[in-house]
Amino acid sequence: MTSPVLAATGLVKRFGGFTANDGVDIAVGAGEVRGIIGPNGAGKTTLVNMITGVERPNAGEILLGGAPIGGLAPDAIAARGLVRSFQVARVFGDMSLVENLLVPYLARRGRLAEGEARARDLIGRANLARLADAPAKTLSGGQRVLLQVAAGFMCPQLSVYVLDEPFAGVNPVIKDTILDLIATERRERNVTFVVVSHEMDIMRRLCDRITVMVEGRVLLEGTLEEVASDPRVVAAYLGKPLR
Amino acid sequence: MSALSARRLWLPILLALACAAAILVLSRFLGEYGVHVLNTSLYYVILAASWNVLAGFTGRFSLAHQAFAAIGAYTSGLLATRYDLPLWVTIPAAVLAAILLGFLLGRLVLRMRAVYLAIATWAFAETIHILLTAAYAITRGELGLSVPPVFSDMDPRSYLYLFTGLAVVSVLGLHAFVRSPLGYFMRAIRDDELRAQSLGVDTVAIKTLVFTVTSGVAGLAGAFYGHYVVVLSPQIADFSEMAKIIVMVVVGGFGSFVGPLIGAPPVQILSSYLAKYGEWDMVIFAVVVIGFMRFNPGGLVDLVRAGWRRVRPTRS
Ligand SMILES: Nc1ncnc2c1ncn2[C@@H]1O[C@H](COP(=O)(O)OP(=O)(O)OP(=O)(O)O)[C@@H](O)[C@H]1O
Ligand SMILES: [Mg+2]
Repeated sequence: MTSPVLAATGLVKRFGGFTANDGVDIAVGAGEVRGIIGPNGAGKTTLVNMITGVERPNAGEILLGGAPIGGLAPDAIAARGLVRSFQVARVFGDMSLVENLLVPYLARRGRLAEGEARARDLIGRANLARLADAPAKTLSGGQRVLLQVAAGFMCPQLSVYVLDEPFAGVNPVIKDTILDLIATERRERNVTFVVVSHEMDIMRRLCDRITVMVEGRVLLEGTLEEVASDPRVVAAYLGKPLR
Repeated sequence: MSALSARRLWLPILLALACAAAILVLSRFLGEYGVHVLNTSLYYVILAASWNVLAGFTGRFSLAHQAFAAIGAYTSGLLATRYDLPLWVTIPAAVLAAILLGFLLGRLVLRMRAVYLAIATWAFAETIHILLTAAYAITRGELGLSVPPVFSDMDPRSYLYLFTGLAVVSVLGLHAFVRSPLGYFMRAIRDDELRAQSLGVDTVAIKTLVFTVTSGVAGLAGAFYGHYVVVLSPQIADFSEMAKIIVMVVVGGFGSFVGPLIGAPPVQILSSYLAKYGEWDMVIFAVVVIGFMRFNPGGLVDLVRAGWRRVRPTRS
């Protein structure tokens, strides 16, 4: 791997007496699509939260493009190109879909007219054109996920996109739409992705490499075929072989 | 399909000027007291509109807005009486004081969650109220501080031009504020602050800016109001003033820009004519607010819109 665009070393996060991340190392190369899998409670979201400034690590270092970002506020980290989505979709409920997408664009001092054109184009590609001017609170759960993911693509500065379980609880059509959006952004902007998911067939298609987390640590890293055949991974998934 | 970027810029200006003209025409048919009620209504229009930008648009439910009006009134009044400074110096100084204190209080409270922010701002306002009462050596406390008028003849009709102009400028300024990109950030912060932050919005800076600007607007209104009523009393910082602002915004339409503009005058008019019965107006308003909250949370704006939809000639 060439020098990684995103690198975390020795990340520790404790909640009271409980250690949710216990010395996590991860390095993602530019243009890579990295998957993160692991059983519920393994600490995946906690890792995402630390990398994106939502939680402050108790120890460890985070580098984005070689520069330390540990301790920065989420907006400062987003301004540097590292953007995320949340496991439970967060949208601006009282704002229309177009307005939702304008927020990240205007935050980088983009022009309203251009932002609106981009937003409507993206909403069209997300098959939400019919709802473009409706408040986001009227969306279904799956549509909300889609809008949330699309919002990240409206960031002009986007270089690393961390998606926390973007395929959970959405129907196959929306899954494919999200995959299409990701493919387009990779092709056109060379965005790096870190995708947390339990959907093995999607991860197989999507990811270059997989990081497996168990009980707050990185168990191993490799291609999906490599990790899926590892007996420790199988054991971590309670004896269910990964398909 | 509506194009956000194609919004007409001259429409709000025309509307504001039409309203101003209507007010001035209406005043021809009113006696002196009626004109006085109009003046105070316009004062509350400014306070309600600016508080709505903070509470309704940005979701930061401050209970200190009346305190910033009081800071404006007393700063200008004290500078004018103690140092004999002209009003064109004291009023800008008063706005500056409100801006500065707004900035400082904002820095202090804007990291707090909603309930704590409400309590902390309430405590700040109470402190101002008590200071104004207790520091009677300077403020003359409940006795009242006599300050110079803007117009030496103290004719309410002269003041009507002043307050109409002030309201037009303030409201158009606030409108430009919420229609700018900042307005998108305010609403995003209200809906989900962490999400706004994670999309690169510097929420701390935006909230501080909104708090500072709206405090400054309240200070501006308060400063002119002080030189209209010419006797300042700590009552201007009393919580009942804040309650009145909330009533106006809720009756008009919380979070709608037009809401407080149409909510403030009827409330103030009613309140003025009920004043001779003591504090009963607040009881009536409490019932009205509960009624609106329960049955029509969108306020008068919503009723007007619904009515308009019914009477409008049906177009395809
Ligand atoms: N704010 C918090 N306070 C206390 N404990 C927390 C907090 N956040 C996470 N935890 C705990 O840390 C552990 C890891 O949680 P995390 O959300 O990171 O897991 P995850 O791998 O994302 O799981 P899932 O697949 O269910 O999303 C869990 O046991 C959780 O209860
Ligand atoms: Mg999780």
